[in-house]
Amino acid sequence: MSGLVMPPVTQPDPDPDPGSGFGSVPGFGSDGDLMIVADAVSKSYGTVHALDSVSVSARRGTVLALLGHNGAGKTTLVNILTTALPPTSGRAYVAGYDVHREPFEIRRRIGLTGQFASVDTQLGGRDNLVLIARLLGAGRRAARARADELLELFDLTEVADRRASGYSGGLRRRLDLAASLVGGPQVIFLDEPTTGLDPSSRLRLWEIVESLVEQGATVLLTTQYLEEADRLADTIAVLSAGRVVASGTADELKATVGRRTVTLTLDGDDAAVRAATALRAAGFAPAGGEDGARGLVVPIDTTRQIADVIRSLDQAGVEADELTFGEPTLDDVYLTLAEQHARTPA
Amino acid sequence: MTTHLTPAPRRNASAAVALKAPDFGGSSYFAQVRVLTGRSLRAMVTDPGIVLFGLIQPVVILFVLTQVFSKMGMPPHFPDGVSYLDFVLPAVLVDNAAQSAMQSGVGLVEDLRNGVVARLRSLPVHPGALLVARSLVGLVRSAVQILVIMVLAMTVLGYSPNGGVAELALSAGLTLFISFALGWAFIAAGAWLRRAEPLQNLALIVIFPLMFASSAYVPVADLPGWLAAVAHVNPLTYAIDATRALALDVPGLDHAIPALVIGAVISAAGAFAALAGFRRPL
Repeated sequence: MSGLVMPPVTQPDPDPDPGSGFGSVPGFGSDGDLMIVADAVSKSYGTVHALDSVSVSARRGTVLALLGHNGAGKTTLVNILTTALPPTSGRAYVAGYDVHREPFEIRRRIGLTGQFASVDTQLGGRDNLVLIARLLGAGRRAARARADELLELFDLTEVADRRASGYSGGLRRRLDLAASLVGGPQVIFLDEPTTGLDPSSRLRLWEIVESLVEQGATVLLTTQYLEEADRLADTIAVLSAGRVVASGTADELKATVGRRTVTLTLDGDDAAVRAATALRAAGFAPAGGEDGARGLVVPIDTTRQIADVIRSLDQAGVEADELTFGEPTLDDVYLTLAEQHARTPA
Repeated sequence: MTTHLTPAPRRNASAAVALKAPDFGGSSYFAQVRVLTGRSLRAMVTDPGIVLFGLIQPVVILFVLTQVFSKMGMPPHFPDGVSYLDFVLPAVLVDNAAQSAMQSGVGLVEDLRNGVVARLRSLPVHPGALLVARSLVGLVRSAVQILVIMVLAMTVLGYSPNGGVAELALSAGLTLFISFALGWAFIAAGAWLRRAEPLQNLALIVIFPLMFASSAYVPVADLPGWLAAVAHVNPLTYAIDATRALALDVPGLDHAIPALVIGAVISAAGAFAALAGFRRPL
């Protein structure tokens, strides 16, 4: 597991600012507030470890993506951070409050959109939103105003008075997202928000998330889609079997597994052999080129080295039919890490 | 956020709307109960099917029993000057109270399954608020049903109880209390079982036989020995005797105290068990 970026571990500020007034956790008043912190969080059901010492964090105004397949522990972590489930051990803070000691302070400041739309299907869209606003303490009129605002924002005005039981999956999702925003949350949890959405709805949701973050919201997103994590997340934590097997930015993660490569297709067996020889002489380690194969894969570290590859070919008098440059993808990261992890059980 | 492409500035403005902290200031336990009760009452008004559906069994039993048994000779211990319809109606109301109580449990199961509880758990809402709301909604439903059955019985079937208006009201109030107590038992069952089917089976297995092994349809003294023994320890016997004594002005009012005590115990134990079951993770 060496070479992986270890999850950031939060260090409580040794000299807390008493005037920060930001929750009860020291060190949350300064710039770059940590809005989500999980510190060695574990959750066990008997002998089954749903989460095994998971540490992740997200600063204000950033997106943290939890990437992993079904059963990796993503939803369990979301449940713990949203105070629906107590951790077996470890500490967790959201918006500066302790999930164990101050769940209601956290619930006042978060929005949650789960894997399954959490709306009252017996009520209409508007009544759903009004209900939540009322539960948050809004008066009748303020609740209605807030509901109308969000209905318009999510393009639900037309169906506002129809029972949610008659909504399509996409409509229900949008209502669910609107429902999670009624209180103007500082931290938004999106548990597989685009699973089952059509591509255009997915794109729209991505845009909404991006603009929410632009406005200062902190988002924790779980996803099985690498593309989604790549596009939205500032930090990605890869979860596998309840453990964080890697975390970092998308680029950092890519750097830990795949290397960049230049792939060459050459004209004729001879050219491939000559090209391979020239590249080795220049310090590269090309793969392929034996037994009449016409393709060569050349791992490189920096994009500058593309020029070195071409120069070596040029000096050897070889011309490539085709030359492509490949960045490692999060797919590589995910598959490599998940496989590594599966081979080396804890 | 419309289907056409939205220009970036508008989107930012929209996001600002979404995030602008409205600062609703939180709500008290009482306010939460009120809002959640209002929500279910509203659903009941817009979908009165549930209320009417709940009436079917008691009304069918009422019709069947009165049609079948009124033509038979009265058993030896039957109270004098009371028609079979008069005798059986308070029991039908108690049966209805039990059906309504079961509906409270089913309502909670629906909340647990369709995502309402998941939503509430992400909000600063006290866990007990939804349970209390479900109990209160059950009371309203029971009251409406009692009223419907009584009016139906008086106008269509000729129900003419000997008790005065005050006694009738007291009898209805006691029936409501029984519905309340059984409601908590079924809310607890719903919170633990979390599925409607076993809940309905439970109601069928428990309530249906208990109604027959009680003073509901025949005086206990006229039941076969073993059934009379069961009826003597059956809480429903006390409940029915007391509501009947009030409505018909016949003996049995001494059973009101045990009925109230048993009801209070069931309510308290049910509420406690319901909260414990409800607190478990989804």
